[in-house]
Amino acid sequence: MKTRNLSMLLASLFVIAGAIFASGARAESKVPPPPAIGATIEDFTLPDADNKERSLKSLAGPKGTVLLFIAVQCPVSNAYNERMEKLAQEYKAKGIAVIGINSNVAENADAVKAHASENKLSFIILKDPGNKIADKLGATVTPEAYFLDANNKLLYHGRIDNARNPAQLETSDLRNALDAALAGKAIEKTEAKAFGCSIKRA
Amino acid sequence: MRFSKAIIPIALCIMVLSLAAPAQKRKGRAAKPRQPVAVVSPINTDALKTLLTQEREHPLLVNFWATFCDPCRDEFPDLVQIDRDYRPQNLEFVTVSLDDVSEIKNEVPKFLDSMKATMPAYLLDALDPEPAINLVDPKWRGDLPATYLYNEKGEVVYKHIGRVNTAELREAIEKVVKKGEKN
Repeated sequence: MKTRNLSMLLASLFVIAGAIFASGARAESKVPPPPAIGATIEDFTLPDADNKERSLKSLAGPKGTVLLFIAVQCPVSNAYNERMEKLAQEYKAKGIAVIGINSNVAENADAVKAHASENKLSFIILKDPGNKIADKLGATVTPEAYFLDANNKLLYHGRIDNARNPAQLETSDLRNALDAALAGKAIEKTEAKAFGCSIKRA
Repeated sequence: MRFSKAIIPIALCIMVLSLAAPAQKRKGRAAKPRQPVAVVSPINTDALKTLLTQEREHPLLVNFWATFCDPCRDEFPDLVQIDRDYRPQNLEFVTVSLDDVSEIKNEVPKFLDSMKATMPAYLLDALDPEPAINLVDPKWRGDLPATYLYNEKGEVVYKHIGRVNTAELREAIEKVVKKGEKN
């Protein structure tokens, strides 16, 4: 009986220690660095909000693609909803596709769908289970943008613009990058630090 | 007898009403929104630079956070405890919120009040947060929370991006506060 109790106690301690270690490991986990500007992003496949698998190749624009890491609950990401929608509409007409990616573990496909509907987001939003693509691209926050050319070469990475509050807008870094690329000019600022809510990783 | 029978319910009614009245007053007071006690000062990029780089008498711990950041909220009680434990040993500790400036008298002090936080609190007042992020640390990508420990010379002796490992942070503080005592 004593041996049984002891083994149960040891098993419980093992489980508790494991849980502590696992939670600590998550808290300490480092996000991989983002690919360098100029690096080619491999094609990937993710489910959309209807659980239909979509590849980057099938969604890419003829003149490039913007990948936007966004969230349902993040107030910073939500402050950009209108701007993101406007950007998607404007640049779709110019041959650049906008794809939203939600990598937050706690925000499921239904939440993503409802949020897109409530905020009138017409661009496609993919779910990133296990934050594989967020890890692959080194995305840390929402919103965070990656602009790829027609050959999936990374041309710009970072914030959409300088201000959460649109009234304080000074620098539209993402738009500047898209406009320069469309005009065949060199992008002046290829990286700008994205600021927002941390992506809640699995 | 009849009189005494009649007076008992009346007396009971008066008692109940007299007890209920202050309760209503209390409810009325609670419904009025309470002003936050914590004072949050705006800090621009230049002032932040001065704060971080100047030589000082004591080590300085700086926590960058925001009310919308879950890991920031999660680690805050640990940081408040660290402040209580090490302020008597001359650790200076300030927090810098990266919330929208409109929250300087709302969500930010409310949260600090709820945490019973008493360390000096700032909110980054900059149209563009990127120069501030770069001056703190060019390698920091702006994700929150971010915690930096500076020695008396203004050199970074410990940094952590993401929720702090409290034991690790305490160990780093112990080294600088002890070093400070020797000097």
